[in-house]
Amino acid sequence: MGLLQGASELFPVSSLGHAVLVPSLLHWSFKQSDPSFVPFLVLLHLGTATALLVLYRQQWVALVRGFFTAAIAGRIRNDSERLAMLLLVGTIPAAILGVFLESRIKSLFASPYVAAGFLIVNGLLMLGFELLRRRTERGASRTEQEAHFASAERISFRAAAIVGACQALAFIPGISRSGVTIGGGLIAGLRHQEAARFSFLLATPVILGAGLVEVPGLLTSGVPIGEYVAAAILSGIAAYASARFLLRYFRSGRLDPYGWYCIAAGLVGLALLHFNP
Amino acid sequence: MTRSRSVAVALGVVGVVFIIVAALYALGVLQIATSSSSGPHYKHAILFAVLAVASFVAANFARPKPAL
Repeated sequence: MGLLQGASELFPVSSLGHAVLVPSLLHWSFKQSDPSFVPFLVLLHLGTATALLVLYRQQWVALVRGFFTAAIAGRIRNDSERLAMLLLVGTIPAAILGVFLESRIKSLFASPYVAAGFLIVNGLLMLGFELLRRRTERGASRTEQEAHFASAERISFRAAAIVGACQALAFIPGISRSGVTIGGGLIAGLRHQEAARFSFLLATPVILGAGLVEVPGLLTSGVPIGEYVAAAILSGIAAYASARFLLRYFRSGRLDPYGWYCIAAGLVGLALLHFNP
Repeated sequence: MTRSRSVAVALGVVGVVFIIVAALYALGVLQIATSSSSGPHYKHAILFAVLAVASFVAANFARPKPAL
């Protein structure tokens, strides 16, 4: 489960959708209504967030420094300061929607059938993002096509807020946080690799914050911490490897394969749930 | 961002309001839009603390400054 969550959290294929669908299909013994399930997921997310912090450690140092210098000076003077403020603007809508709506949305949609259905929707979204992107591309080779688009620091503040708010869609099992934020970044005019970088940077404070606020409850819940920490470490290793792979892949790769995968996984999931409930 | 003293003051006031709301959630006094109806709500408190910081940052950005 740790490996599955860590790998699927950053791939644009919905970790929550897989976390709902796969255990149900494989008849794994744990129940999502079990009181220990939430602490378990919290630790897995902390593993993912730690992996992202390690991957972008130098950038985060620059971003934290940039945030304080820009906040104190009241003006933006370099790319690190601009990116820090973009991440703040992008994080706020997701944090507001997360705190007030997350549990309600998750309880409304926490069914394997719904997860499989929204996995298909997620796939269609990925293909839609790429379709819109192709209309604005120029050049023959992928390198030429990508060269016309911008780096993460150049996204507008309005676009950052919209991309950030899109993260809330990921509370629906089957809709991928990285998928909608990478797609949003593409629509906002970022290169694929830069859209992925912005998505990962944007995800880090949300995942880390959501995890850290649950830690006190975890320590008093009497769950097998040792096993859960081992799963979190596996999740972190899988997330780190996934992020490295995706950043390399998106130098020239597109969202289409993940879109087709989500559609296929959703259809197969629906069929298996129907014929083998 | 439009630089204006009145906008900066308004954002500063909003920041103070957010701090008060954060404190009320942390103390368990405020129970609006929470999953349980008793006890402190740290998640809400942290959110409003972050919103307060963002408001103060925005206020500082909106404050008129001498040209460099």
